[in-house]
Amino acid sequence: MVTAALTRARLIRVPLWELLDPREHGPAMAWSAALALVAAVVVRAIGWPLWQASALAIGLMVPVFCAKWLADRRRFGGTVTVLGILVVLQGFHGLEHVVQWIQYHILRWPSFISSGLISAANAEWVHFVWNWGVAATVSFLLWRGVRNRWMWALLAWALAHGAEHTYMMVRYLQVLDEFRALGVSGVSAQGLPGFFGRDGWLATSPLTQDTFLCRAPGVTTAVRLDVHFWWNIGETTLLLMAAHVRMHRAAPPSA
Amino acid sequence: MVRWRARWTGGLAALLLMTACGATPAPAAVDEPVAPVQLRTAALTTPATCSAGFVPHALEHTTRSGAQVAAVYESNGAGVALGDLDGDGRDEVVLANLAGDASLLWNRGALRFARQALPVTQARAVAVVDVDADGRSDLVFTRRFEKPLWLRNTGLPGDARFSAQPLPDVNNTFYSMAWADLDDDGDLDLVAASYDAEQLKHQGQIFTQRGGIGVFVYWREGATFRAERLATAAEALAIALVDLDGDRRRDIWVGNDFNVRDQIWLRAGAGWRAGLPLDSMTENTMSLDWGDVDNDGQFEIFASDMKPVDKDVATMARWLPMMKKMTRPLTSDDPQHAENTLQIRGGDGRWRDQAYERRVDSSGWSWSAKFGDLDADGSLDLLVVNGMIAAGLFDHLPGAELVEPNMAFRNRGDGSFVVAHDWRLGSTASGRGMSMGDLDGDGDLDVVVNNLESPAMLFENQVCGTRHLTVAPRMPGSANPLAVGARLTLRLTDATLVRDVRSISGYLSGDPAAVHFGLPPGAVIETLRIDWPDGRVSVLRDLVPGQHLHVAVTS
Repeated sequence: MVTAALTRARLIRVPLWELLDPREHGPAMAWSAALALVAAVVVRAIGWPLWQASALAIGLMVPVFCAKWLADRRRFGGTVTVLGILVVLQGFHGLEHVVQWIQYHILRWPSFISSGLISAANAEWVHFVWNWGVAATVSFLLWRGVRNRWMWALLAWALAHGAEHTYMMVRYLQVLDEFRALGVSGVSAQGLPGFFGRDGWLATSPLTQDTFLCRAPGVTTAVRLDVHFWWNIGETTLLLMAAHVRMHRAAPPSA
Repeated sequence: MVRWRARWTGGLAALLLMTACGATPAPAAVDEPVAPVQLRTAALTTPATCSAGFVPHALEHTTRSGAQVAAVYESNGAGVALGDLDGDGRDEVVLANLAGDASLLWNRGALRFARQALPVTQARAVAVVDVDADGRSDLVFTRRFEKPLWLRNTGLPGDARFSAQPLPDVNNTFYSMAWADLDDDGDLDLVAASYDAEQLKHQGQIFTQRGGIGVFVYWREGATFRAERLATAAEALAIALVDLDGDRRRDIWVGNDFNVRDQIWLRAGAGWRAGLPLDSMTENTMSLDWGDVDNDGQFEIFASDMKPVDKDVATMARWLPMMKKMTRPLTSDDPQHAENTLQIRGGDGRWRDQAYERRVDSSGWSWSAKFGDLDADGSLDLLVVNGMIAAGLFDHLPGAELVEPNMAFRNRGDGSFVVAHDWRLGSTASGRGMSMGDLDGDGDLDVVVNNLESPAMLFENQVCGTRHLTVAPRMPGSANPLAVGARLTLRLTDATLVRDVRSISGYLSGDPAAVHFGLPPGAVIETLRIDWPDGRVSVLRDLVPGQHLHVAVTS
């Protein structure tokens, strides 16, 4: 059944699918996914926290993805494989933000526990490293010739996103320094407002107080969780478009 | 037009006896019962000094917690009330205290005060109310661990004396209170509510085993009160008696601390209907006040909470350890948020919070917050007093004190606000109770703040170049002589200003029984309409700015 579905997708000839298609690893990937799902359900049932169950499931999927990417490298070369890896990993990162959004807006969880599937990774330094990693990878891909307008837009977006995380990271570290000076320990500074969003720099800076910017709907009114949901929706969308165009250019003419 | 000018020469009382006039009662609308009134006017004095801001004066009173470093709930401090207790036309200042006597500062004019210690300790709220309707204003205090105390004014005009007694048949310990005529029978009823966290800390579980306290309405019935219990639990730091459903009858809003949702009861027939017509509310309601901030004829309601004004690193480091201790899980659809709210009633009857959009969502660790036209431009401004001293909560700060400036917000004329640093109201003393009134007879609003562990302060309004009209409506001989609940509508050539007379608002702080109108430049007064609490109406014409009006119903 899985094979039939993959065959149908190939027949549609979506260029982006060329990058995601498991090809000969389809059955292994399906089995890995099933195993990961069952394992996650079982460990959740015996009391593991959600983030550990999610991490276990991801861990079980890693080998088959590695095998697929090795095959992709032989098939497409290193640059396109890096693009494919980025699509999958950023796709998962975007999925984390979608899950957070669902936890907060649909499931009505409190904001501080709406931390996605792997809550332990919802840390300021993880976001900082991740987003600069994306920006660096996009730069690498541009350097290696993956150039189209979507890719350039993605670079701009990723740099802006990384800049906001830099602002948050700097504040995070400064607050920790202040904690040390005050003798405070065991208190997290995670979750401070960033540049955009409610109570962010743009909303509170004296420079914007007499302008529409300080209360621009969404830009300076959205909560942090929503701000980063949209950052990642934008980033993932641009990445998919860039990858689609890249693979379209590489695709053989239709039969 | 006669312009009245008078120098302050020894007392507003003498001025009040000067019958100025030109003002004449005018008929109200056809179907409205008209209240004939006697009008006395006095010219407001001209300020001796102008400085475009407020000038602080220390008052002879310091509220003490009784501890070396205040801990919760001593941290909550006490209130202040303004009101004329000796009938000389000047409002006295009454400051409650925790570990010491309360202070009655007799207003001798020109911002000179003579202190009289009142042997009332462990006091929280204070209000100037004519409880026995004898024409002499009394004092009522709520106390931490005892029943409310009524200081009955037994003196003659100019010679107030007080006898201390409990309010008849009011037999519980309350934190907050408010007075208004809730059943339209002409007398003042009392709404009082407890702060259970403090009682639990003091009494232990015996407090709940005894059934707790909660929220009570005490209906005035002759010389006594009849209790009606609305709730068995409360964390009430503030009570607002204001019309919430547009039926022109006062409803009850109890503002609760500690993630306990505010409680609202709407007047329905002869009873109450519990309801919560709010999409969003404060998580730790510290204070409630209402006023028409956009001059559309409807009151908006402000509730203060705790949220840092600045989000800079140093501020967040001071706040975050406390937030970690205090913040409790809330679902994302919980209407409570730890920030100020400015509730605005929509056409569908629901109230919606506009504090963030109108830039008054954060004012620090806020206590008393009140509207007042501080710059007399015709639009209500907002003042919020701030700060916290709490061992166990702010041990990471020197003296366990979160030092924050009070926040004054200038109304931009459309109901949105901007911080008014230039008014110099940003004292960093740890403010709790706060009230506004004209204490020097020049018409503008002065401010009194009851700080914790530092002297109370009077902020003299020296924002000059503006005009004022102050009005003291009175119903002599009635069961509500101070006309609490009267609604005053001043119609100008291009604006309509609405104010009301209330007993208490903000945090624990009694209001003077007079209203203040600031008049925009060039504004001409057309009419002053008074909707009396008994349903009658008076309309005055031919008024000029710069006057204090004493308007008394004559029958």
